[in-house]
Amino acid sequence: MGKKKRSIHETATTVIVDDETDVTSVEEDQVFTDLSKSLAEIRKRDGVVGYILRSTSSATIDLKEPEKIVEYAILSSQVLDSSREMSDLFDLGDVKSILIEGKEIKALCVVIGENKISIFMENNADHADILKRVSP
Amino acid sequence: MNNDVYAFALKSTLDEIQSICPDVSNTFIFKDGKILAKGETTNEKTVNSTINAFDAITERADTIGGLETVTIQGANGRVNIACMNDFYLTTVLSKKADEKYVNTLTRVLIPTVIKLVEKIHPASTDDETLTVDLEPAEDEAAEEDADSAEDSENEPAEEETVTTEPTEEQETPEVDDEPLLPEPPVTQFIVENLGGLLVPSDTVRIDKSVITEWNDLYSDKKIEEVDVETLDGKKTRCKFKHIKDSKHKGKGIIRMPEKIQLTLETAKGELVMVKPVVE
Repeated sequence: MGKKKRSIHETATTVIVDDETDVTSVEEDQVFTDLSKSLAEIRKRDGVVGYILRSTSSATIDLKEPEKIVEYAILSSQVLDSSREMSDLFDLGDVKSILIEGKEIKALCVVIGENKISIFMENNADHADILKRVSP
Repeated sequence: MNNDVYAFALKSTLDEIQSICPDVSNTFIFKDGKILAKGETTNEKTVNSTINAFDAITERADTIGGLETVTIQGANGRVNIACMNDFYLTTVLSKKADEKYVNTLTRVLIPTVIKLVEKIHPASTDDETLTVDLEPAEDEAAEEDADSAEDSENEPAEEETVTTEPTEEQETPEVDDEPLLPEPPVTQFIVENLGGLLVPSDTVRIDKSVITEWNDLYSDKKIEEVDVETLDGKKTRCKFKHIKDSKHKGKGIIRMPEKIQLTLETAKGELVMVKPVVE
C-alpha cells in the first residue's frame, strides 16, 4: 500500500490516506487536487487552525493540534450526517455548506461533489471569505 | 421558573416572526432537548428529529468548546439553530428570505422576550389559594394605635372606596385564561405590625412604588387585591393600600393587621411573598 506524507505547513502534519485500490484515482481526481491546493493556501491564513478534506477514496488532514485529529474528524463527520438529516426534514435540497460555531472554534463544512471539506478556525476568522475561496 | 410562562411568550413571538416574515417556514425553540415553543406551521415530529440531529453534533462538539450555533445552507433554503440565553432558536428560511432581516429580528426579539419573562415572573408560586373570612379589627396595642390612627386620617377618601370582597376559591389567573397578560410579579416583603381602631383588618399596606409598578405593568386592569403567601405556603387574599407613613416607606415591608397575621400564622419580621390579583 502506498502511503505518502507531505508537509504543507511548518507547524502541522498533513496526512494523506489512500485506499490501496484507489492510489491512482487520487491523482486523477482533479477536483480533489485543486481543493487540496486551495486548502493549503487557506491554512496559512491567520485564525485557521486546520482542515479535513475527504473524498470517497482519500482524506487529507492538516491540523495545528494533531492530537485532536480524531475528535475533529468525528465532529466533522457528525456535522455532515446531521445536516443531511435536517436538510431532508425541511426539504432544503442538497447541502451546500454548514457553519458550526463553538465557544472557542468554528468549523465551516462544505460539500463539493464527492468531496467534503471541514475547515476549523478561530471565531474571529472570516468564514464567508473562506467559503468563497473553496466554492466552485 | 415554570416553562409554561416561557412557552406562551415565546410561541406568540414565533408566530409574530412568521407572520411578518413569510419566508420563515418553520420556527421553534428548545432547551435541554425538549420543545419549549413552536410556530403554528411546524410539525412536532420534525422538531424532535431536528433536536436529535442537533444533539448528536453537540455530543461531539467539546473539541470546539461546546456548540452554540449551527447554520446549514441547502440548495432550497437554510436552517439556523442559535443559542440564546440557554435556549436554542431554530429558524428555517426559504432561499429568497432576507437572512439579515430575519437574523436581526430574531436575535433581538427572542432574547428580549426571554429577559422580559424572567423580569416579570421572578418566582413561581403554588396555585392553591387559601382565602379567609376577615372580621372587623380588634383593639391593638396602644403604641400602634397612635401611629395607625394617624395613617388612617391621612388616607385619601377614594382609597376607602375599594369594595371588592375576597371571594372563596378564587384562583390565580392562569396564562391560558389571560393570554395577553404577563404573569403577576411576586415581591417579597418583611411583615410589620399594623393596628388601630380605624384600620380595616382586611387591608395590608404596601410601598407605593410597588403598586405603581403593578399599575404600569397592567395599565388596563384594575388591581384591587393581593395574594399574600408565607414561606410555609400559607396564603390569603386581601385588599391593599399604599404606605403613607414616611418612616415605613421604601424599606421592603408590608404592614399587616394582626388578623391577617394570625391567618397566615406569621408575625412581625417574617418574610412573605405578595403578588397582585389581576382581574
